[in-house]
Amino acid sequence: MSSSTVSVSVPTPTQHSFQRKVDEIKVSKSDINFVVMDYLVNEGYPRAAENFAKEANIKLPFEEESIQTRVEIRGAIHAGDIDTAINKINDLNPQILDTDPALHFALLRVQLIELIRNCTSSSTGDITPVLNFASSQLAPRAATNPEFLKDLELAMTLLIFLPSDTLAPELEELIKPTLRREVASKVSEAILTSMGTRGEARMRQLVRLRQWAERKARLAEKDLPPSLPIGLQSEDATNGNSEDIMVQ
Amino acid sequence: MSRRTSYAQVASGTGANSHTNSVSARLGGFHHSSNSGAHSHTIPDPRLSFRTYDDPQHNAMSSSLGRGGPLPSYMSGSGYFKDYSVHDDPVSSFFVPSYLRGSKHAEKLQEVHRARMAAQQQYRSTHSSNADSLSTSSSSANLFRMPSSHRGLTHEVVERAPALTEEPIAPWPTRWNETDKFHQMEVEENGRLCKYSGSQKSHDEAASIRSDYSMPRQCGIYYYEVTVISKGKDGMIGVGFSGPKVSLTRIPGWEPDSYAYHGDDGQCFSNTTSGKSYGPKFGTLDVIGCGINFRTNTAFFTKNGHYLDVAFRDLKPNVNYYPTVGMKKQGEMLRANFGQEPFAFDIDKMVQNEKATIQAEINRFKDVASIETDLIHGLIGQYLAHDGYVESARAFAEEVDAESKALANESSPTINYTGTEDDVHAINRQKIRAAILEGDIDKALKHTNLHYANVLRDNENIYFKLRCRKFIEMIRKCSELRSQCHGASDRTPPSKRSTTTAVHTSNSTAKRNSTATEEYDFEMELDEQLGVHNGAPWETPAKGENGQDGGAEGKENQTDEADDTEAQVRDMTDRMIQYGQELRAEFANDQRREVQKALEDTFALIAYEDARESTLAPLLDTAGRVPVAEELNSAILVSLGKSSSAVLERLVQQTEALVNELTEQGGPGAFVNVRKDFLQ
Repeated sequence: MSSSTVSVSVPTPTQHSFQRKVDEIKVSKSDINFVVMDYLVNEGYPRAAENFAKEANIKLPFEEESIQTRVEIRGAIHAGDIDTAINKINDLNPQILDTDPALHFALLRVQLIELIRNCTSSSTGDITPVLNFASSQLAPRAATNPEFLKDLELAMTLLIFLPSDTLAPELEELIKPTLRREVASKVSEAILTSMGTRGEARMRQLVRLRQWAERKARLAEKDLPPSLPIGLQSEDATNGNSEDIMVQ
Repeated sequence: MSRRTSYAQVASGTGANSHTNSVSARLGGFHHSSNSGAHSHTIPDPRLSFRTYDDPQHNAMSSSLGRGGPLPSYMSGSGYFKDYSVHDDPVSSFFVPSYLRGSKHAEKLQEVHRARMAAQQQYRSTHSSNADSLSTSSSSANLFRMPSSHRGLTHEVVERAPALTEEPIAPWPTRWNETDKFHQMEVEENGRLCKYSGSQKSHDEAASIRSDYSMPRQCGIYYYEVTVISKGKDGMIGVGFSGPKVSLTRIPGWEPDSYAYHGDDGQCFSNTTSGKSYGPKFGTLDVIGCGINFRTNTAFFTKNGHYLDVAFRDLKPNVNYYPTVGMKKQGEMLRANFGQEPFAFDIDKMVQNEKATIQAEINRFKDVASIETDLIHGLIGQYLAHDGYVESARAFAEEVDAESKALANESSPTINYTGTEDDVHAINRQKIRAAILEGDIDKALKHTNLHYANVLRDNENIYFKLRCRKFIEMIRKCSELRSQCHGASDRTPPSKRSTTTAVHTSNSTAKRNSTATEEYDFEMELDEQLGVHNGAPWETPAKGENGQDGGAEGKENQTDEADDTEAQVRDMTDRMIQYGQELRAEFANDQRREVQKALEDTFALIAYEDARESTLAPLLDTAGRVPVAEELNSAILVSLGKSSSAVLERLVQQTEALVNELTEQGGPGAFVNVRKDFLQ
């Protein structure tokens, strides 16, 4: 048979023995597909999950109707519409917030921050709604828990500093969208746990395992290359780990 | 279970069935029922009776190995070769101690064991067919010889072949070592029982014995128990562990690299003759357990199921410790349990706790949530695009984008889904993959030849696998058609199918094309290739029940269809057998063992009228399409000059390799099974 082999061998200067070990590991596609699907369903990407089920010819895991609700709740939290989110959560299962005061408080605090943001950016600058909300909703809860109180106080200081371009880091954190994202994913986890499924997507654990394993291996002074890039181009330098960009 | 010989006879040209009994009797040691529930061991060896306990644990193990269908229980059988015991105990059993079930190390050892079994089987089969000189029938005899469980495995193994070339996998102790003992020690009961048979010795001297293998550090925690059958006169018994070179003329604990818990005074000894008070004394019928935690380098003992606290710390990280017992007085007798039986102490729980500790530690590596999320989104986006899941990639990018917009998060990088030229390939690859996953191998071959002609030329093994898979799909088709003929007895189409067909319900223009096998009709609109390719399960379930060309029309003509179906079955069967002969002819000269083996396995399916109900059913499972599809996809990617694996896959590879590093010296990696704990 004639062969027109396409050579893809890139000259690799003295490959580290660990790299060889990595290459020898066989990964099953169905495992990868499982992890991906698990993430899509768990974290609420219904259209991607549906398409993936078709294209990879795998079964869409039997999914409670909650996936759509979870997506809506997430969207509401992301958009800062906490009232809607709380109503939807309670429609789904009122126990979720009742049994998790920390989560409920976190949600209300996001709502407070949104109120502060609104009033400090509005022309009138009327802070009455903020004060009313804080004293009626958050203060009673904060009284029971010093952690809550600290969080509440910090959030309230925003009233003084906003609007501003230079905020202290801990205040900056509060108005970053990441806070809403974090709260949203905690809510999602709580909903899943309340339904008896695994709260967290495997993918998250996998990513952590990867970080943990490298840290441990380096601490144990295993023979590893100085850096172990995974080769994702969008990986940014903030990743803390020694993973940098590797062009394929 | 309906077994027919006719097809086998047609294909092999011999009366295969007549050999069945003799062959299976000859290989009785390997012939286990595939179904663990009703296992029948054919070795009438009373010493092996404890195996009935072994089986469930092996099944528990094997199901953890993969989700690709039922896996074998045969490894619970015979033939764990050991260098020294070949003569006196050729069928010592393989077992997995309860607390190690599901661990990575146990999986590795099991793979080694399986490879040995296969090698042994191979050896026997070559030799037996030589001896028999059954001119043409070696392949047909093989049809019946191998238990199906074995077959179910082959595909799984292909997908995840163990890297056996590397350093050998350390086995765990299985018995006392008759060549590593003081001479006045006697060993009985398959190496489980040892007793002191000498005369009274001087004050310092004793008789000790070590196990066959050292306690593998890769287990993380290793634990064994001994029962004192008789403590003799004053119960001068030591239970513990020692290095390989420690003198066996003294009781363990008194020598350097030697550690033990003594029954006469309840003290524990390490490296010296002066002990420290530790636990209660022990004597006849007490069960003493001894364990090492290699992560913390500590050792502990248990008595009658109760934990007695840490006995030794700072064990040396570079010494191989062997379970060791020593005795001094006549009549003293100990029976060891290296995991063949349930333990008195709940060691499983201790290992579980250790795992939970590690798991918690891993979880503390939680990055800032948003960075973690961005990383994951990057991984998933890249994976979907890389592997040609075009629509999924697009939908995912859109959903993530919508999410970022809701957050108004400028810092979050959007996954730019690059369209353009890569898309063309991605769509092609997706089509080819979809065809295989639907069981339409011809369509996949056609597309591949059309777009990536060199791939099949350059990757002969993939070509071979596709050809084999096509045969399997033909058999599937035959089985289905045949069961339709036989009325409503078996109308349920294989459940996996519903997802396959769902993809194509939109495409109602299924065409018939009965000549599809021979030549590729490039003219034809590619997407209409859902017609009758042999073995292509293109029908919706409704159609599947009453023949081809479903819909309302089909239902009206149900009786005609029945006749027609019967004709179809004959036609299909003829073509299937013809194809099988072609396949065999094509690869007859291939000397590679795995090729011949795969052919044997595949042809064995012909033996059954309805293979779906046979023990070979796992081969027919649609899950078997996945590895073929993925292998072809990777080959196409490589031919396009791209990395054959996506970043996510590389991340998993790296993770496993790192965990392996952390396992070698008994580090925390021993308590992590990447696949089982994180990918399932």
